[in-house]
Amino acid sequence: MTSTPTSSAPNAADPQRDGTAEPILDVRGLRKIYGSGDGAVEAIRDLTFTIAPGELTCIVGPSGAGKTTLLKCIAGLLDVTDGEIRLEGDLVTGPPKGMAIVFQEYGRSLFPWMTVWQNVELPLKEKKVPAAERKRLVTEALEAVGLADVHGAHPWQLSGGMQQRVAIARAVAYEPHILIMDEPFAAVDAQTRAELEDLVRELWHRLGVTVLFVTHDIEESVYLGQRVLVLSNRPTVIMEDVRIDLPDERDQLSTRSTKRFAELRAHVYELIQQAKGGRRPETTARTDEAGRRDEAV
Amino acid sequence: MSIVRRAVLALGLPVVLVAAWWFATEGSQSFFWPPLRDILGTFAETWWPDRIMGDVVPSLLRLLVGFAIAFVLGVGLGVAIGKSRALRAYLEPVLEFFRAIPPPVLVPILILFFGIFNTMKVVVIVTGCIWPILLNTVEGVRSLDEVLIDTSKIYRLSRRARLWYNILPGASPQIFAGARQALSVGIILMVISEMFAASNGIGFTIIQFQRTFAIPQMFSGIIVLGLLGVALALVFRLVETRILRWYLGLRAAQRGE
Repeated sequence: MTSTPTSSAPNAADPQRDGTAEPILDVRGLRKIYGSGDGAVEAIRDLTFTIAPGELTCIVGPSGAGKTTLLKCIAGLLDVTDGEIRLEGDLVTGPPKGMAIVFQEYGRSLFPWMTVWQNVELPLKEKKVPAAERKRLVTEALEAVGLADVHGAHPWQLSGGMQQRVAIARAVAYEPHILIMDEPFAAVDAQTRAELEDLVRELWHRLGVTVLFVTHDIEESVYLGQRVLVLSNRPTVIMEDVRIDLPDERDQLSTRSTKRFAELRAHVYELIQQAKGGRRPETTARTDEAGRRDEAV
Repeated sequence: MSIVRRAVLALGLPVVLVAAWWFATEGSQSFFWPPLRDILGTFAETWWPDRIMGDVVPSLLRLLVGFAIAFVLGVGLGVAIGKSRALRAYLEPVLEFFRAIPPPVLVPILILFFGIFNTMKVVVIVTGCIWPILLNTVEGVRSLDEVLIDTSKIYRLSRRARLWYNILPGASPQIFAGARQALSVGIILMVISEMFAASNGIGFTIIQFQRTFAIPQMFSGIIVLGLLGVALALVFRLVETRILRWYLGLRAAQRGE
């Protein structure tokens, strides 16, 4: 533990709403440096935030903000340099139980040699879910994403949006406690994207699952989330934890045309612009110059 | 209609070549270049049924056993080497060394170790067939899609499931490319291994005919070899299109977009 200021300076995050509930995800002083010596790149400087069970949180940040790095750390696919990540109280050291991820690259996250049904079923088989239960879960998940009639198709026979639906069905059938979505709709067309956003809201309502949704699209983050974590540029800290106080019932047309939506959107947009311009929140600005030099010694 | 078209396309050139051979050698008086008529005339009596059972079948069995062993070893080692960077760095120079040795020159050495019977011949075939399969498998495993690998990890697939559902299918297009090369290498080595200290086999028979100046019979043996190659390639294609149906479909879909 060489970095001293991390524990004493929690970011502007952490409002009272998750003060009582035990957080499902607890990220504390997360730091990630790739490589070592002169070639070292500090991707994430200091991230501290918690996610309450059942929350739908969006993470936005300028491109290159280390969003993917953050996700990979949370998913246990990357080792952290410093700090810790706890999921349901357990320290994350490898891919944890009870977590599912929907990747951006739908075309590369489904097994092309398997049918839609087999893709959704495989994780359940590995989880040793009994056959009858498995059948029920897969059927329901595919119905939930509106793909009840393409069981036997291979993913590459479907459109991009449908492939992403299959990936979502696979995640849903897995019955995760936390569902992580990594820019899942960045590569689909605008209309499909709107449909899929509503699908995510609907599934989240129905299943009560915690959702962590990473995106670079500001509107999307405001439309979807209860909360938007805005990241700074690299090395990443949290710019602000924005509470989205829009009504729970959201609609592509009416919600997006409300005054409040526009305000929130403008606010997040401004934050992102500032982040791109290199501005960093007060609490960590001090450590900027000092911290780096200390590390090098 | 399209089947007829395909048949015409596939058979057109062979028919032309056979006809050309036939007419070019029609009145040939040369002892070493007999008319195709004579070659085909001796074909049936030369090969059916004794030599089919006594030479062609043993040759084929040795080829298939050797190919199967090379396939299992090549894919097994290839997966291990492809997955481990350390193992790759460690083995690469040695692999390059062995790969550069033409298997025929190993025959005398292999005779010392394995005798002159089936074992030696199978080992010769294995030593040749294994390289394309091994190297292609390594390449296939190395180029597996990272997102798919992450997906397998996230859903906590067991090692076995990852091998069976992710690594092997993902590398299968390259594995098949290697196996296809291995098959043609295997046919060559099948013949060569039978040219040394053998008592049966197609290669042995052809050499016998050659040494006894049974020229039409010798040519018929060469034709048998060619036909065998065509038949094996056809069988291979059938298996390949069955197993790689997803890959062919995926590629067609990508081209269509």
